[in-house]
Amino acid sequence: MPTAPPPPARPRRLGEHGLAWAFLLPSVAVFALFIGYPLGRTLYLSAHANDLFGAPSRYVGLKHYTDLLASAEFRDTLLTTALFVLLTVVPGVLGALAVVLLLEGRIRGVRLLRSAFALPFAFSVASASVVFSVFYNPASGVLNGLLSQFHLGPVGWLTDSRYALLSVAASTVWMNLGYNVLVLSAGIGSIPDEITEAARLDGASGLRLARSITVPLLGPSLFFLTVVSTVNALQSFGQIHILTRGGPDGATRTLVYSVYQNAFAYGSSDFGTASAQAVVLLVVVLACTGVQFGTLERKVHYA
Amino acid sequence: MKKSARALAALLVSGLALTACSSGGSGGGASGDAAAPAASALDQASGTTTVEFWHSMTGKNAEALTALVTEFNAAHQGKIEVKPVFQGSYDDLIAKYKASVQQKATPALVQVYDIGTRFMIDSKQTVPTQAFADRDGYSLDDLQPNIRNYYSVDGKLASMPFNSSVPLLYLNTDAFREVGLDPAQPPATLAELGDLAKRLTKKDGSGQTVRYGFGAAVYGWFVEELLAESGSLYCDNGNGRTGKAAKVSFDTAKGAEVVQWWADLVKGGYAANTGRQTTDAQAAFKAGTVAMHLESTGVLRGYTEAAKFTVGTAPFPKTAAGDQGGPVIGGASLWISGPGHSDAQKRASWEFEKFLASPEQQAAWHTGTGYFPVNTKALDVAADKQWVAKYPQFQTAIDQLAATKPTPATAGCLLGVMPQARKGVETAIEQTVSGSKTAQQALADAAKELQPAIDGYNASVG
Repeated sequence: MPTAPPPPARPRRLGEHGLAWAFLLPSVAVFALFIGYPLGRTLYLSAHANDLFGAPSRYVGLKHYTDLLASAEFRDTLLTTALFVLLTVVPGVLGALAVVLLLEGRIRGVRLLRSAFALPFAFSVASASVVFSVFYNPASGVLNGLLSQFHLGPVGWLTDSRYALLSVAASTVWMNLGYNVLVLSAGIGSIPDEITEAARLDGASGLRLARSITVPLLGPSLFFLTVVSTVNALQSFGQIHILTRGGPDGATRTLVYSVYQNAFAYGSSDFGTASAQAVVLLVVVLACTGVQFGTLERKVHYA
Repeated sequence: MKKSARALAALLVSGLALTACSSGGSGGGASGDAAAPAASALDQASGTTTVEFWHSMTGKNAEALTALVTEFNAAHQGKIEVKPVFQGSYDDLIAKYKASVQQKATPALVQVYDIGTRFMIDSKQTVPTQAFADRDGYSLDDLQPNIRNYYSVDGKLASMPFNSSVPLLYLNTDAFREVGLDPAQPPATLAELGDLAKRLTKKDGSGQTVRYGFGAAVYGWFVEELLAESGSLYCDNGNGRTGKAAKVSFDTAKGAEVVQWWADLVKGGYAANTGRQTTDAQAAFKAGTVAMHLESTGVLRGYTEAAKFTVGTAPFPKTAAGDQGGPVIGGASLWISGPGHSDAQKRASWEFEKFLASPEQQAAWHTGTGYFPVNTKALDVAADKQWVAKYPQFQTAIDQLAATKPTPATAGCLLGVMPQARKGVETAIEQTVSGSKTAQQALADAAKELQPAIDGYNASVG
């Protein structure tokens, strides 16, 4: 058999491309199945009305979206969602930063404390929420018991529409604290010792060291936490479901919870509206992340 | 085969009417979907016929249900096996049931709450209990008339009532005696209840409330019950009994009066507001931090076992002294699936329904849970009589329902979007309590917001 001439460049590249696609196929398949299909289905459902059992019945175009824009209830829901994000992300990240900086001080048993502060990470949202619901109970809860020692209260932590969102946010901050402390501890651990020592030799300590050295070098970790916490806050469900079910009077009805209520609660089976809201949620998440990358990331210093 | 001979006779009498009914009903599909099969379907079936049974019972009530299922399975070994599957709360269950209809994989038997009745009829997925009773010549006359009234449309029983409840006024009798009140003279009207709530509220030295006079979950059911007590309708077309309800009527002066009364007690510091979760309100009563409390008779057994004080029961209050109405029954009933199920399965489900509705089983259910026996003969069973003699608290519900005349008001409202209507009233209560709206305004807004849902539902079922 005469040896074949070396194949021309083009088919060979095609062969490489084919190989690349073959390697990519599993992940593309998974992506298409679990991300692509549900997204397409959500868009489809959001343009259809539902029959008695929630199955799509007829095409309604953008009606669900225009109805949402006109609805005062939906505006309240968006506002509640924004408030919930602010009330969980800002204290969650700053609180964890404070904890981590304080743990930098040379105290005995710092390892034990660090583990203790990371502990909330080990709790599931469901069990933590149940514990908080016991704390918040208006008649027999610990919090009102403490308040009564000071002749204050009782406060309807979860039943008064003025406090409910604050209470749910506070429990969320606690639940997130463990993870945030872990991430920031790792971030601090990766700051080269020489830099801190050099700063100390220059006479920096305490606040000054934190402000000029530690916090700027923690930039990547802080940025990561802010983005991740924002997305988490936008998607929070468990604590709201267990503590307040979106009440009282819609005070804790965030976008995700509203999606759930329209689709599954009270026998409404309104998958059309719920899907339209889910699409709005997707847009909000993308917008938040985009803005954060556009503004915050520029200030982050990657060592 | 005496049984099938009887079935054949019943068929001759009612068969014509039945087939006419079913072919007109479901429109397409197998003509036998809504018709009751003959007893022979089960007799001829080979092997064990499995009945998947979805329910929402928890705690004491789940224990009692499991005992009944075990007894039934043992008696029908090799022939029928009922497999109970807990599906979460009533709301969760109906959401899952809807999904199962879409996937054409419904359970053979399903427990659905009272306010899902209209939806279940419109779903056209079930065989009416009346069809089985007519075919078998099975008498439904032993069913408690108010309960039968609730689950009947045009005089035909749609589903088999199982766990029926009436609302009660629960009393902490120790608290009554402590302030010099006689628990044997419970408040009969909302005004009296309000006065007693003020006397029963206790504060400690520093002015902290250690016991509220009154406390109930923010639960729309109680407003439905109070309106029925006053003889008012909750929705139009005779509470949806003479035709599909097209409008709610809870936003009347009476509705506003009831909601305002409740909100004023909370605002005055005489009633605990534990939110919508019924378990939180139950915990407050069991812990003794609430002296008077509204709940279903279905929690009575749990209360008598958990509370450290003597639990008293009284009839649900009237809104005013001259009220002519009475309580609406609540709870749930059992529906037998038609489409997608074999005739043997339908018969097996019916056998299980008849077993559950029999006097002995209803007596066990009544004493084990506190739910009202749906079969009046259950009250004559010796074990039930002994139980009620020992725990007279169980007598209140019996007397209360016996004294209630079946009317459109006490039949309760049949509305496809009843769960959403109830949620709307709950939001109205919260708004009135927080003071953001008056009761009248809040209820009017709730009715207005609900209207598109009612119109949409009625349009979709035609």
